[in-house]
Amino acid sequence: MIVCIAVVGHQNNPLYLQSFTEADDALKLHHIVHCSLDVIDERVNNPKKTGSTLNETYLGLLYPTENYKVYGYLTNTKVKFILVTTHLDVRDADVRNFFRRFHSAYVDAVSNPFHVPGKKITSQTFAERVSTIVKSFGLSSAV
Amino acid sequence: MTFPATPRSGFRAVVRGRNIKLTVVVVQSFDKDEVSEDRMIALRKRAEIDSKYLLTFVQKSSSDLKHSLNRLGSIVAELANTYYRDEGRRVKTCIEKKSFSSVDLNIRYCFKVAVYAEFRRDWGEALRFYEDAYRALREIIGTSTRLPAIQRLVEIKSVAEQLHFKASTILLHGGKIIEAIAWFRQHHAAYKKLIGAPEVIFLHWEWMSRQFLVFAELLETSSAVIPSNTSLPLVTKDNKPLTESEFNPAYYYQLAAHYLREKKCCLELALSASEAVAEIESSADSVIPSVYVGQFARLLEQGDALVMQNLTDAEYVLYALAEGKRFQDSFEIIALLKKSFESYSNLKAQRMASYCSCQMAREYFSVGKFDNAKELFDGVASLYRKEGWTTLLWDVLGYLRECSKRLGSVKDFIEYSLEMAALPISSGDEVQSPIHKGEYGPAGCASLPQRERIYSEVFGIMKGESGLTSNEGNVTLNVTPERPIRLEIDLVSPLRVAFLASVAFHDQVAKPGASIFFTLSLISQLPQPVEIDQLEVKFNQSECNFTIASAQKAPISATSIGKTGARVVTAPVLTVVTNKWLRLTYDVTSELSGKLECKSVIARLGPLFTICCQAESPASMNDLPLWKFEDHVETFPTRDPALAFSGQKFIQVDEPDPQVDLVLGASGPALVGERFMLPVTIVSKGHEIHSGELKINLVDARRGAALGSPREMEPISTDSLHVELLGVSRPDGDDEPQTGQDNIWKIQHSFGLLSVPFVNLGGSWSCKLEIKWHRPKPVMLYVSLGYLPTSNGSTIQKVHAHKSLQIEGKTAIMIGHRFMLPFRRNPLLLSKIKVAPNSNQSTTLALNETSILIVSAKNCTEVPLRLVSMSIEMDENDIGKSCTVRQRDESQKDHALLVPGEEFRKVFSVIPKIHSPNLAMGTVCFTWKRDSGLDKQSDSNITEAGIITRHKLPDVNVEMAPLVVSLECPPHTILGIPFTCYVKIQNQTEFLQEVKYLIADSQSFLLSGSHNDMVSVLPKSEHILGYKLVPLASGSQQLPRITVTAVRYSAELSLPQATSTVFVFPSEPHFKMGNLKEKVTEIVTTGA
Repeated sequence: MIVCIAVVGHQNNPLYLQSFTEADDALKLHHIVHCSLDVIDERVNNPKKTGSTLNETYLGLLYPTENYKVYGYLTNTKVKFILVTTHLDVRDADVRNFFRRFHSAYVDAVSNPFHVPGKKITSQTFAERVSTIVKSFGLSSAV
Repeated sequence: MTFPATPRSGFRAVVRGRNIKLTVVVVQSFDKDEVSEDRMIALRKRAEIDSKYLLTFVQKSSSDLKHSLNRLGSIVAELANTYYRDEGRRVKTCIEKKSFSSVDLNIRYCFKVAVYAEFRRDWGEALRFYEDAYRALREIIGTSTRLPAIQRLVEIKSVAEQLHFKASTILLHGGKIIEAIAWFRQHHAAYKKLIGAPEVIFLHWEWMSRQFLVFAELLETSSAVIPSNTSLPLVTKDNKPLTESEFNPAYYYQLAAHYLREKKCCLELALSASEAVAEIESSADSVIPSVYVGQFARLLEQGDALVMQNLTDAEYVLYALAEGKRFQDSFEIIALLKKSFESYSNLKAQRMASYCSCQMAREYFSVGKFDNAKELFDGVASLYRKEGWTTLLWDVLGYLRECSKRLGSVKDFIEYSLEMAALPISSGDEVQSPIHKGEYGPAGCASLPQRERIYSEVFGIMKGESGLTSNEGNVTLNVTPERPIRLEIDLVSPLRVAFLASVAFHDQVAKPGASIFFTLSLISQLPQPVEIDQLEVKFNQSECNFTIASAQKAPISATSIGKTGARVVTAPVLTVVTNKWLRLTYDVTSELSGKLECKSVIARLGPLFTICCQAESPASMNDLPLWKFEDHVETFPTRDPALAFSGQKFIQVDEPDPQVDLVLGASGPALVGERFMLPVTIVSKGHEIHSGELKINLVDARRGAALGSPREMEPISTDSLHVELLGVSRPDGDDEPQTGQDNIWKIQHSFGLLSVPFVNLGGSWSCKLEIKWHRPKPVMLYVSLGYLPTSNGSTIQKVHAHKSLQIEGKTAIMIGHRFMLPFRRNPLLLSKIKVAPNSNQSTTLALNETSILIVSAKNCTEVPLRLVSMSIEMDENDIGKSCTVRQRDESQKDHALLVPGEEFRKVFSVIPKIHSPNLAMGTVCFTWKRDSGLDKQSDSNITEAGIITRHKLPDVNVEMAPLVVSLECPPHTILGIPFTCYVKIQNQTEFLQEVKYLIADSQSFLLSGSHNDMVSVLPKSEHILGYKLVPLASGSQQLPRITVTAVRYSAELSLPQATSTVFVFPSEPHFKMGNLKEKVTEIVTTGA
């Protein structure tokens, strides 16, 4: 299950952060997302070591915490998507697929003429769409 | 030497039964004491040992001792190896046959085999059996009933920990870091859920924490390195990706801390649940760890003997609680986090490190060390501020606020509170739930109502209406009149979000004394409107400071303003509404010229609280931190949007206009070499001139740079300077500086400074600048006058008047020269024959022959010049002997007027006296002056001397001419009348010279004499060829051309065409011959 999804701007500032848990652990998730930026920095700055190809946007598993796994995705405009999940066995393909759909939703949201680039995403439509994508996460693998 | 006693049979039996190996060592003091062979064999037989294991041990020398020790060592090692192999094999067969009564025993067997293998350094087998043991242990969870449930689990976990530790160590020692991590993961996953009985959950977390800590330490100390050549993502055998952080001990330390914290929470819960505290204390007394791993027993004294008694679970729980109470987990947690923090900091993972330090700070907070906590939180807060993580910042600030409250720091408390109240948190939907395991800090969940609550709380304190008593500790926070609070908000303060002042002057420059308008804008992101009692605006010129008072609160403010005596204005409303600029436009007047800058705006809220805001220019104002990422309405600080982009908090106040005329009387271009006079006149028109100072500066007009700055003038010689300020002459003719101390009189090559005496209203003063050009070049002359308009008061600034003028420096005279051969005379110069025609060689003159030198001087200026004199100066002292230069015509008058463009020529005759390849000819000195016309008398004293323009004549080559050919012929003749013409060939050498000559026919003359012939000219003599000619045509006629060839030099000599002409009159002319002579000379001078 996805517990949190975040969009982080290129100054490492949060643009969108939504948690999908009943528990009141928003602060913890904030911390997890914030810490995962270190791993992204490391990967981006040392592309050789991480072995990611030049145009690969999907960063893969960033780091496991005690209860969660964190995945990352970096767009061409250096906007980061961070996914926190409780699934211990997540298929890479599912995560990739999720990020692809999320990316297109993000692109639609920032293409809104009323959106100022670099500012937080406050669009209601985007939130709804994200929650749909989050709900459908992992379902495709079951089919 | 002694022999060991004969082994007894009992000893032998013991040895056999237990598979004990025996070695006999014969210790010898000296090498020479050989033990006989027989005795050795006897000994061996008695002891029943192999000859291999009987060795003599020599102690004598160090080398022998070392050798013996080595041998003994290897034998013992070999025997030990054999022993452990045998033992291991024996136990292994038991395992293979499954001849054990319980699974417990199986685990034990496996462990034994593994340890034996480890002794033999057979890591592969050791690992295999540790793993077997671990797996077997996993199976008995839930099935074993040997012990009560709680203790059973504790035992299993202890054993598992032991096995895991062994396996991990072996893996890491073997450099198999990936396998080790995979193994740890599996271990973690297997035991994570085995929480156990609810009353002793804390034991589980403690165990978990220990697993992480131990693994972290193993990882840290192991020599295994992360395989750098393989690319990530690394995968374990079961295809699960590994991340970089899992290779980092910091990760494990952090999780160890996390679980320890979990343990602490659970322990506290468990302790609070159990009421019988006293019972805990008492029951724990005699419980000790049993001899078996993971078991505990009660030690009972029965008479002399000590007996172990098994515990019930209830007893064990009490024991565990008592043990748990003894430890101070917080410090343990902090130590773990510190390790993690340091490791992350080294890796430059600042966010992870911040998270660790945040957790550390929380731990400090929980144990009441607020100083440490505050320091750490401050560090963390700055990172969150920078990156705009509002929610995290809120939490940290909440802690900080609480820390400062506990520490009794009112100012900090207010600052943190204001920052929190101004954070961009608008979501009010998150309702605060009951505290979730200490997840949220003292500030609770971030929300708008919380912000408002904090705001009203802090304003209550600030206004002194209410104090705040810290509920823990007896610190009371309140503001008293003795200690008013003043907050400073500078350009980087995080409190800019709470209060920001922007100042924009409407103009960029202003006149002194005029009203200068500016807009003062204030904005606040605090959730509720802020009412300001009064605003003080501070400038760098303190006379401009003024105070804006709120109309509503006038009575309060009046008291405090009265003291300062500064200007007070009243504004109808001084309330700053959330995210809305409060714009106030006022004017100030500055009498002082220079920069007028608004420094700060001080807002007074209530009698005890002030906020000092550093003023910011709208043009260079940074975005509000944190709010810049928010999607909120942004407005301009000024009504005029253009001003919002360009407005500055400072303005340039001009100097008062000078009411003085500074006149530079220029009179055309200057001429190189002359002392150019430039009158400067100062005319007072509305100001008296007190302590005036005139600065003069000469600057190269093309380069724009000074001709030389006054400071570095000394090393530069005058020659290298192209234009020079020679001096200033005063109207009264007093060139010398006056001795008075007030008078400055400083003239340098391109810079001058002189003081101007007092000039009355309407009066004037003038002086003349003397400038000399050494090279033609344009120069900018800058003259500036600084003065005080009144005599009293030093505070009044100087008024400056500036004037500049570009002056061209021009070359006045162009001097040229040329050499000519003497009339109808041509010496043979050998060097002329040899050289190629186009190589520019210096002029060659014949020795002792007269040559003609014509020097011309052209007026290149646009003004008439008067010639004073022209002469050739010899600069070498022996010139008189080497060469004679004489002015040809003394009759020509000097003081000729040269109009612009006119050329003046003068003829000199030169007779070189010395044979020299480069004979110096001297320098032409041309003395001239400006033709000043009318005011000739006035400045005659300066220009009388004239200006000398020098022209160095090039060196000439003087050589002896072996032959000189000259023509003698009358200058004119009459048609039809025969005349005689002689060609003289002069041999100046010591040799006989053979000369061929050839005369060409001419249509104009009838000629008698030989056409061509060869004659020999004797040394130092001359040969004369005579021709009789009859002119056939009248007018200026070319004589028949005679070419003379010197055979010795194979050189041709002919007379120049121009000189071999003769004028033929048609008939006898009727004039006096005396006049004719003069005419001819004139032709020579001008026709050249």
